[in-house]
Amino acid sequence: MLEKFFMRCSHISDGDSLFRQSVHPVSFKNKGKVFEWAKCFMLYDQPDGSFLASLSWEMYLPTTEEVHDYGCRLAFRRNEKKRIAGKLTDNNRSVYCGAYQLKAKTIRELATPVEELNEVLSAEVVHSVEEGEIAHANLTIVLKPGGVPDIEDTKTAILDRLWSSCSGPMKHICDCDKNIPEHPSSSLAIPPAGAYSDNRSSLSRLWCIIRFQICSWLWRRRNKLA
Amino acid sequence: MLSYLTDIYRQAVVVLESSSELPNSYAPDVLVLAASGTYAHTTQVSPGVPEFVDASPRTESMILKTTFSSVPIISQSELREEYQELGTALGEMTEFEDGDEWKIDAPVYAAACYVASELMVNSFPAPRIFNHGPKSIVFNWSKEEDNLYLTVSADRMSALISSPERIERRIHWSANQLTDPSLAFSTLKAAYSEKPVKITGAVADPPEL
Repeated sequence: MLEKFFMRCSHISDGDSLFRQSVHPVSFKNKGKVFEWAKCFMLYDQPDGSFLASLSWEMYLPTTEEVHDYGCRLAFRRNEKKRIAGKLTDNNRSVYCGAYQLKAKTIRELATPVEELNEVLSAEVVHSVEEGEIAHANLTIVLKPGGVPDIEDTKTAILDRLWSSCSGPMKHICDCDKNIPEHPSSSLAIPPAGAYSDNRSSLSRLWCIIRFQICSWLWRRRNKLA
Repeated sequence: MLSYLTDIYRQAVVVLESSSELPNSYAPDVLVLAASGTYAHTTQVSPGVPEFVDASPRTESMILKTTFSSVPIISQSELREEYQELGTALGEMTEFEDGDEWKIDAPVYAAACYVASELMVNSFPAPRIFNHGPKSIVFNWSKEEDNLYLTVSADRMSALISSPERIERRIHWSANQLTDPSLAFSTLKAAYSEKPVKITGAVADPPEL
């Protein structure tokens, strides 16, 4: 029974929202001055030929505050890694700027063959805890073997479709960044789908928070048992 | 009357400044660049049914929606300056540390410079750039919500045109096909400029390109 409920805490439904947190300076160019949306969704080549990107899942980020807390922690961890490596400078310090939202369904639809993008075999987003972040999800795209004339162009096509389905940005300034004179969040671009609005009803939001509490408890309990 | 039309095909066009006079000779299809940046489209219309008042072909004009090609016209010196900035940005991308998200490989830089020079020769406005990692660079132009991307790798190049709803068109070229770039860039320019238009049946509104 518990396991069955736990499965529900790990399955990302088509209608679920996913978020992509934007961090300066990675998503910016011209010496960190200009936001580049295409760098917001970095697709990493995997040894098996698939592409991988990181997202966060609303199941474990039930409020906008949680979405932003995730982004602030993300930037903090990146800075800590650089600090430990002795490479942290004012210029390369990571600053969380905000998040973009998209639906799981639009990601999975990338694998629906259409005339001009038919080389995607599967496009899936799965819950995958990473660096202690229970809300982390992996976006994995597998291409049809031998069916790709230009892999780099396929990445362009995928990024174009992801950006077209995004809404946002939800801008944010973390507490640790409040003294930055010109915060880069002001440069975030509005995607074609427009600004994000959380149109969940109060009841729906309450349910999301309750579900989040239950699923988080289940995760902690499972980890303890493990 | 436009409603007489059954088929319209876009043929070769001539673009003139708005101050220019139309040629006296038979001009089947002319685009006149208006000050507003839109194109006035003039076309010969052959009646599909007997015309009792005027049997000769008539000329009708319509204002077309601004097309991808109707980017702001800039001088050659401005264009050169923009491409110099692009070249500088590309050069900087080779100098980032290994592992930096914006780093590109030297062969990609060489290919990108070659493509950029051809773009300038063909009077494309300087593009925005981004990359997917060290193996490619992407040139990008936006027009309203439509996008044109040119993804350049060390050994190939691909063009992609998209609207918010869908990917409209993709074209791929290998390195061999780019040894004579004129064909590739004329194809790209055609794709960049406008899509072919065919209108079938009676229409009330001007075609959107």
